[in-house]
Amino acid sequence: MGHVQRRLASTTARLASSLSTAHLQKFPPKELLYIKGREIPTATIDPDTWASLQSPPPTALSAFAHRIGLSSVLTSTEAIQQVCTHPSFVQLLKQHKPHEQEPATNAQLSAIGNSLMGLFATEYIRATYPYLPTRVMKAAVTAHVGPLPCANVAQEMGATPLLRWHRSRGTILKPGVLHSDALASIPRALTALVYQRRSLPSARQFVHSYFLSREIDLRGMIKFLDPKKALLEMVKKFQRELPKSRLLKETGRFSNSPVFVVGIFSGEDQLGEGFGSSLKMAEYRAAEDALLRVYLTRTPPHLVQLPSQTFPVGVGDVYRELPEGDYTPADLVESEIMYASSGNSFTRSS
Amino acid sequence: MLGQRFVSFIRPLTRAYAPKWPRPKPGTAERPPYRAPDPLINNPSATVTPLLDEDLTFIHRPPPTAPSPISYTTNPISPLLKPFSQTSSALPPLLRPSAEKSTPQRLTAEQIAEIRRLRALDPVKWTRGRLAKKFECTQQFVALVAATKKSTRAKLIQRRDEEHAANRAKWSEKRSLVAAISQKRRQYW
Repeated sequence: MGHVQRRLASTTARLASSLSTAHLQKFPPKELLYIKGREIPTATIDPDTWASLQSPPPTALSAFAHRIGLSSVLTSTEAIQQVCTHPSFVQLLKQHKPHEQEPATNAQLSAIGNSLMGLFATEYIRATYPYLPTRVMKAAVTAHVGPLPCANVAQEMGATPLLRWHRSRGTILKPGVLHSDALASIPRALTALVYQRRSLPSARQFVHSYFLSREIDLRGMIKFLDPKKALLEMVKKFQRELPKSRLLKETGRFSNSPVFVVGIFSGEDQLGEGFGSSLKMAEYRAAEDALLRVYLTRTPPHLVQLPSQTFPVGVGDVYRELPEGDYTPADLVESEIMYASSGNSFTRSS
Repeated sequence: MLGQRFVSFIRPLTRAYAPKWPRPKPGTAERPPYRAPDPLINNPSATVTPLLDEDLTFIHRPPPTAPSPISYTTNPISPLLKPFSQTSSALPPLLRPSAEKSTPQRLTAEQIAEIRRLRALDPVKWTRGRLAKKFECTQQFVALVAATKKSTRAKLIQRRDEEHAANRAKWSEKRSLVAAISQKRRQYW
């Protein structure tokens, strides 16, 4: 299948979003019929536009709430409708149905939910990988709860046919709205709704089960420009002997396919090991391995302590006068090295 | 019936690889072929786990140079995260002969002043490398102690880059291609 056919198929799938007309009182509606008396009959509205203006059937909304396990939280179809309505839809509705009441959108809920998800992801990654550099931690947070995973989770939940939105081009003042942006607002709004109607620990549970259980490849996110320099700084921080590379094994020197295995040692401790087709390459990889062994050290899952555990459990907000939850803070570890970090991002010099 | 059953696997009496005959000719540089040790036999890093419910034995033999990806804070694999302990053992040889050199001696204040004077006098003649050789210290130390002014340094670097670019322009197409390939390869380290 060529790329043109694939794009057509995906566009059609997005447009013809399983629209059911069973819940409509009258079908076909007047707008889709030809105007009587006109010479050349034309419908007042384009069928695709009409379809995008329709609200999904209440049965589909209810099914969605049950499918994601929030049927007790999303008790009314209005709440689910609000979650699935992107603010860009209001403009479209006003354009074609100016007399209809403005629907409730998920703009505020999405903003609250986004902040909450960022909080939960950051505390989880910080607790799980205490030695991870800040820039990698930020990338990991984006990989867990960023716009792309939010859109993917919304699709997996089956919210695509329920979404009401309108595509818009970006201007200098306002950014454009794409399908993935609109979809991403749905899980964020759900998080905020769980937080409002239940509690912060419940919202955290929602985010953990849908987002923080996803597999992320951290190793691929960590790139080095000069790993030997970074390792030297790290070893100095830990106050050990300066690293020296030693040749562990080699074969095929002076042939067209040599293999060298080099280890980087601090005194007698081997910090890392790497192979390569040249001595320099093997040393580079050994330095990378030594750094990754530290950065990717994780806390065992049963020992992870999250600061938001201190908030009281049970339905209600976090400001209630109740005893705090149990929380044992982890020991502070060595801070990250300054080389290749963002430094003090908020000062003028950097 | 049992007597008619033949052994399904008969070990060959002669190896197909690295044969013992023909013997290497004595008095020449010929040597007998290298016999690699079988990694399946007597592997110290093999872990044997009997799976009793399936009546199987699971043997895990990790490759000897694969770095362990699993490191927990309770059991880290990096020696930097473990408490410092001295173990005396024979270490493999250093990678490059320059690593055998001991750290240079501390320079006196007069020597440092002399380095600064020469560098300020003529940075083109008294380069970092030349000064390092003269005073028996490292180039980095000379750069730390007697750095040229930013404007001078920028000019020198620009001149050097222009010279290098002019030389690169003289290269044949094949040489340029080889250099470009090795530069690209560097990205995949």
